[in-house]
Amino acid sequence: MDKIIKILAKYYPVFLKGLGGTMWLAGVTLLAGTVLGLLVAFLRMSKFKPLSGLTAIYIQILRGTPILLQLYFFWILLPKVLPFEMSDTACIIVALIINASAYIAEIVRAGIAAVDPGQWEAGRSIGLTEIHLMQKIIMPQAIKNILPALVNQFIACIKETSLASVFFIRELTTAYKTVQASTFLTIQPLLISGLIYLVVTTVLSFAAGRIEGRLKASD
Amino acid sequence: MIEPIIRVKDLYKNFGDVHVLKGISTDIAPGEVVSIIGPSGSGKSTFLRCLNRLEEPTSGQIFFKGEDIMKAGKKLPQYRQKIGMVFQNFNVFPHMTVLENITLTPVLEKGVPEKEAAAQAEALLARVGLLDKRDVYPRQLSGGQKQRLAIVRALAMEPDVMLFDEPTSALDPEMVKEVLTVIEDLAKEGMTILNVTHEMGFARQVSDRILFIDEGIIQEQGDPESFFSSPTSPRAKEFLSKVL
Repeated sequence: MDKIIKILAKYYPVFLKGLGGTMWLAGVTLLAGTVLGLLVAFLRMSKFKPLSGLTAIYIQILRGTPILLQLYFFWILLPKVLPFEMSDTACIIVALIINASAYIAEIVRAGIAAVDPGQWEAGRSIGLTEIHLMQKIIMPQAIKNILPALVNQFIACIKETSLASVFFIRELTTAYKTVQASTFLTIQPLLISGLIYLVVTTVLSFAAGRIEGRLKASD
Repeated sequence: MIEPIIRVKDLYKNFGDVHVLKGISTDIAPGEVVSIIGPSGSGKSTFLRCLNRLEEPTSGQIFFKGEDIMKAGKKLPQYRQKIGMVFQNFNVFPHMTVLENITLTPVLEKGVPEKEAAAQAEALLARVGLLDKRDVYPRQLSGGQKQRLAIVRALAMEPDVMLFDEPTSALDPEMVKEVLTVIEDLAKEGMTILNVTHEMGFARQVSDRILFIDEGIIQEQGDPESFFSSPTSPRAKEFLSKVL
């Protein structure tokens, strides 16, 4: 305990920067992953079979292989195939985003599928175009299913970004490694990093619960 | 002879190996009130849902005012605007107020100015006794109120035909009448109505014609008096002996 306090006193900026890095990675991953995930979800739901088939394969590959393996893959591949320089951080972010897009696409798809089929029929029967039907009827209702799941995805992202420490990208688990290397203490910095993760994810879980409750209340 | 508002020719519908509609042909005259009755699973709802292509017919033709809806392509929503539909489960939009439910489509698809659409919606709401509910959300409405809302939502598009798919089947008994009254008023005003129903008394009272569908074909049709008092087909006789 003594050592924990001493480490904190001396190295708290490292942990704070690490937390900042983690939140930044997870935030960018979630934001860009949501944009890409929406696109993937709509392609997946396309009536054009080859397109929906390809996206199904895309989703299956990303959800069916370990994320660490995917990080390695993009970290090795991207610098080789791209004509411009790409930092390790950029490679890892791309990999995280692509990975998240598959999960978010499924969240979106499930959220839309959970909307009462009668809503589609009512919108169509009244003569709404498919785009207006999506915009005004289906998505506003699907959001209620999607939003809480997205917060949970954000929590998953926060934990998954710890894998970026393998590539020594600045985030919370890397902060542990940094402190460990300079103090030769292992358990204490590990506990500190772990505790910070726990606080952040607990707060977010609580927020997810609140959001869910509020959305349910408006049904 | 007047041109039929809806003409159905040789309508077939299969769900996989199940043949639900096996060749239905009929003409609906403007202003005609037609009740479609038959045992459950007979295909009467499927028939109705084919008319605005909520179900895609396997084969056959459907003409609306002489134009083949099967060839509507991108114009399908425009046809649907002229063919209102009311569902068993209301399907009102839960995330919009009563007024927004009604004004949404006129504003979006017909370019009616918001104020005009709101005024029209209020007139419609007043007509079905829901004006005091204009700003509430559907969850605060009873089943009967939701169904009346669903009816005026369709009417806001000024349809030429109204399709009712068992509009009172999901209602508590004490709410059936308030919905039937609205439909009856529409019939009196000259609206063309196709009504899939289990309310035999209502069918007999308001219809110009009864279509009795069983096993995917029209087994018998005629004016309500003769149909209900002296049905000719064995299937209709059997059905009526069970329900009356």
